[in-house]
Parts: sequence; structure tokens; C-alpha cells
Amino acid sequence: MTTRYFEDFEVGELMETAPVALSTDDIVEFAKLYDPQTFHTDPEAAKSSPYGGLIASGLQTIAVAFGQFIRLGYFVKSSLGGPATDDVDWLAPVRPGDELNTVVEVLEVRPSKSKPDRGIVRLQFTMKVDDIPVVRFISTTFLRRRPAG
Amino acid sequence: MSGLYLEDFHVGRQFATEPVSLSEDEIVAFAEKYDPQPIHVDKTAAAASIYGGLIASGFQTVAVGAGQWLRTGLQEGTGMGGPGLRDIRWLAPVRPGDELHTIVEIAEARPSRSKPDRGLVHFTYTMRNEAGIVATFTAIIMVRRRPDAA
Repeated sequence: MTTRYFEDFEVGELMETAPVALSTDDIVEFAKLYDPQTFHTDPEAAKSSPYGGLIASGLQTIAVAFGQFIRLGYFVKSSLGGPATDDVDWLAPVRPGDELNTVVEVLEVRPSKSKPDRGIVRLQFTMKVDDIPVVRFISTTFLRRRPAG
Repeated sequence: MSGLYLEDFHVGRQFATEPVSLSEDEIVAFAEKYDPQPIHVDKTAAAASIYGGLIASGFQTVAVGAGQWLRTGLQEGTGMGGPGLRDIRWLAPVRPGDELHTIVEIAEARPSRSKPDRGLVHFTYTMRNEAGIVATFTAIIMVRRRPDAA
């Protein structure tokens, strides 16, 4: 796990994260707390929903994508927090057992105007199942500059 | 309780949700799965961070807001999922025990062009703790039209 500072990100760079899947239990447990709708919490009732079966909360899918990126370890020492996430698109349902592959592309890298110790990095997250995009969003993070010496 | 239909979501209408707070354990449990950064999972490391203590993952904050809205029952059986979220802004940290108040305002509501049984509603969330606004975002949700209006 190597820390990457502001200077270490280049526009256009692609970062792959480890694939992961959500079980029925993972989906139901999350949704009971944060997104209690029957197509997320009740595998039986979900069959007669517009989705024809249980699907993951969209909120859970973006959190999974972000978590897989964090697990790469780049941000552990360099992140100064994220002020924003934009353009979250849920393009297709995520179902139990789907192998979720998230690729993160560097969209924008710019120094902070007001704070010389940091810069702003915007990352485009794309989560795919069988090569088909299912979730997309853009996250903005403040990153420390590489310490001198 | 049965949910409201597209026709009931007038632009400008506001809904208050039940206040709720997150415990230290809830913050850590979420973050260990979905946002394993020291400021969210490690009390000691968080105390030495720029935040001076444990704070909730921003994704958990958004999820809590959505969950409190759904628990009003006002979308029960009429919400059909959504194409996305817009403009998530994390304006201030959320700490264990903060009382979170979420207001949901209808920003836009229009019938679907292609599907006569539903429409799209833009719900703008404003979440506050005692000190002020902590997060804002807009959820776009498909909502059923009133059956006799379709």
C-alpha cells in the first residue's frame, strides 16, 4: 500500500480495483439500515417489483466502489477529505453475486488556490458487471502535496 | 402507510424526517466495509487528524438521509428506484452522537415521456446537526402516477 500524493496523479490515468461481489445478506443488511424498500430488503417481494428480483441499493453500490478504491491504500496518508461527489448515475441494477469491477480514471488535477499544502483531484468511478457499466460517479478529494525532502 | 404519487409532489413542498444520530460503533461498522480510512475507523488516528476525532463517512451521511426519508413511508409502494444522485456536498463533519435533521424539498417533478405510469421527482436533501448544514444532495427518483390519472 503506497501513499500517493497530489503530484502522483496524472489526468487520464486508470486505476483498477479488486473485484468484489455482494451477497443477498450484504444487500439486505445495508438496505434495512439505509434504504428500506422491498426490492432491496425482501428477496420474495422483490420478484414482483419492476426489477424482477433483489437488487442492491444504489447507495450501497457507490459505497462499494469507493471502498474498493480506498483499499488500494493510495489515500491513507494523503487525503484531506472529500467535499463533493457529482453525477451519480445508476445505469443498471446490481444483483447478488454479480462480480463488480470498478475502474477509476483521473479526470482533473489542480493545485488549491488558497491552501499551498494541497491540491484537488477529481476521479471518475465506473463500476462494471460483465464489462457493462452499472454505476458511474465523480468524486472530488483534497490531497496533500508531497512533503519536501 | 401508503406512499404519495407523482401528482402529490408539488415543487417547493418540504418534508421533515425524524432526527437520528450515529454511534461510534455505527460509524466504524459502515466505514470498515465501505470507506476504511483512519478518520472513519480508528479513534486514535482520527484524534490526531485534521478532524480531531472520528467522523462519519460522507457516503454514510447520504445513506442516513435517504433512509430517514424512506422511513416516512411517503414513497412506500410508489417509489420505483432512481437513475441517480446529483451535487452531493459534504459541508461539515458528522460526529458520533450528532443529532441529524434531514429536510427533503421537491425541486422538480415531471411525467416520464416514455412511460405513462410514472414520473421523475428531484428530491433535494438538506441535512443539519446542531451547528449547521452538514450535507446537501439531490436524488432523482421514479415515482408512480396516481392510477386514475395515468
